[in-house]
Amino acid sequence: MTGLGWGLKSLGRHPLRTSLSLAGIAVAAAMLLDMVMLSGGIEKSFSEMLLQRGYQIRITPKGTLPFDTEASLPDATALVRALRADPAVAQAGAVIGTAVYARAGDSLVTLFGYGVQPEAQAIYQVVAGADLAPDDTLGVLLSRPAAEALGADLTVGDTVVLVGRLDPQVAAAGLDRALVVRGVVRWLYDYRGQPSVGAVLPVMQRLARSQAPDAASLVLVRARADSAVPALAGRLRREHPSVEVNSVADLVLHAKRRLVYFTQLSYVLGAMSLVVAVLLIGTLLTITVNERLGEIATLRAIGVSRATVVRQVLAEGVALTLLGSALGVVLGLATARYLDAILNSFPGLPEAFSFFVPRVDTLSRAAVVLLVTGTLAGLYPAWLASRAPIATTLRAEAT
Amino acid sequence: MARLPGPHRDDAPRGGDLTCPDPVLVARDLRKDYPVGGETVHALRGVSLTVGPGEYLAIVGPSGSGKSTLLQLIGGIDTPSGGTVEILGTRLDTLSDRELTRLRLLRLGFVFQRFHLLPVLTARENVELPMAEAGVKGPERRARARDLLAYVGLGARGEHRATQLSGGEMQRVAIARALANRPAVLLADEPTGELDAATGHGILELFRRLNRDGTTLVVVTHDERLADEATRTLHMLDGRVATQTTAQPPPRPAAPHP
Repeated sequence: MTGLGWGLKSLGRHPLRTSLSLAGIAVAAAMLLDMVMLSGGIEKSFSEMLLQRGYQIRITPKGTLPFDTEASLPDATALVRALRADPAVAQAGAVIGTAVYARAGDSLVTLFGYGVQPEAQAIYQVVAGADLAPDDTLGVLLSRPAAEALGADLTVGDTVVLVGRLDPQVAAAGLDRALVVRGVVRWLYDYRGQPSVGAVLPVMQRLARSQAPDAASLVLVRARADSAVPALAGRLRREHPSVEVNSVADLVLHAKRRLVYFTQLSYVLGAMSLVVAVLLIGTLLTITVNERLGEIATLRAIGVSRATVVRQVLAEGVALTLLGSALGVVLGLATARYLDAILNSFPGLPEAFSFFVPRVDTLSRAAVVLLVTGTLAGLYPAWLASRAPIATTLRAEAT
Repeated sequence: MARLPGPHRDDAPRGGDLTCPDPVLVARDLRKDYPVGGETVHALRGVSLTVGPGEYLAIVGPSGSGKSTLLQLIGGIDTPSGGTVEILGTRLDTLSDRELTRLRLLRLGFVFQRFHLLPVLTARENVELPMAEAGVKGPERRARARDLLAYVGLGARGEHRATQLSGGEMQRVAIARALANRPAVLLADEPTGELDAATGHGILELFRRLNRDGTTLVVVTHDERLADEATRTLHMLDGRVATQTTAQPPPRPAAPHP
């Protein structure tokens, strides 16, 4: 009989008490798991989202982040041409983002419009139909929410009339453009339910209101080698001082700074969950040891060493931790999913963004911390057990 | 009837070997004082005794006479205020806590009034416990535990949890556990104290057989029947040995002693 096996059996003496304690440890472990996923998840999720299509650098108007403001880059085509001529650059493409409208019967539906260069795009995936050709000035791409907003039966091949340069205050008609739906796409940075459409860059530039000719919201750059990204970003910064150049790593850093309260919250709540786990395990084991002092004194009397007694109590702590953690993982993943859905519904957050992302390295660290915590929680009761005075305890038991 | 399982470890003392001239246990002028409410209670006031191999010693006396305290001192689970105890020539007061624990494990067997089995373990696992602590390998441990349980009449109850056993059965398991590491002497504190007369009689029979098979026994008891079985009886009163009676010469072992 190993110490752990003995520990597990000992926990079965009081099933209700053990179950309640396990439930408490599971809740604490679940909270720790969620906080660990939250602390590292934002960074990982954001980084993965930005690198989905392999473009490692974003160029935006000076002092802004992508789609942060309505500011735009002038002479986008020239900038893209210059970037594509750079030997360290594998591909570059401009994107413009603007509010547009679409006619649906007698009314206008507000949409978000992307102008893209299809040959160098990193912001959508085609889910039905076809992509735009680089010179397709008659085609349009829709997200599913946009298709639903424009009519349930709207499908590939149908025509959509987009209206740009419209002043919604006076409802004055601006510029109409009839476009044929080429495909349904998933815009990678759209928030949940965002109705978005996309056309080639020149079409959307024309529809954009109050934008300079050949303007773009950002330019995406894919370096030939990941290792060359920091150097390339630095060089582009020097060569194009009038724009903002950020690598994905820089953007992740910006995001971390903006969401630092999430990380701090996760640390505080994670630490609290550890304290709760320690208190639960320590309390349960202390009660158990106090109840079993007679038994422990007997074991010591028949020659069982202090070390064995300590190991046995610690094994109970470890067994509690392992069982509680196993339950906690299930509970933690379920609550993370639920909380992610809540947080993801905040306006302006991309649907693809996730707050709670399981990472093998951080989860392993959390598991080790929890196991060490469980062991530490057993130290006091183990010490108590090993120091029980044999004769006095046996005398007290006999009376 | 099952024979007491052997063979011996080569290095283990053969407590019941009557050819061995050395005493198993020697206590000299044992004293034990307890501070109680600012006063000192003299539980033992200078008790000396010698127990030879194969002997069956009963310690009797009224409650508070110091008999259980004496047993705890000679068993090395309490320290005397004065005097010395030797087990197989080793003075207990010269041992570290770890050495004393090891001596209790390998040289002494304990049986308590309240059995004190681990309720979550089976009878066999309870018997295996001291052997596991002593480092006996699994298969040997299991085989010996089965043999010991058969010896105490519980061959068919080995896989029952301690909680599924009657009081008498639990005490038999406790006796098997006490014999697990082939002790030089078995110390029992009121082993029939929690049992009814019929069940106690079974334990009495078992002790008789144990001693006949070579086990050295020191038994603290109120049970006159148990005391009557002893080869020698110490009558304790007020922390002293009041009288000592010898019933018959020590029996020769009928079988090899563990």
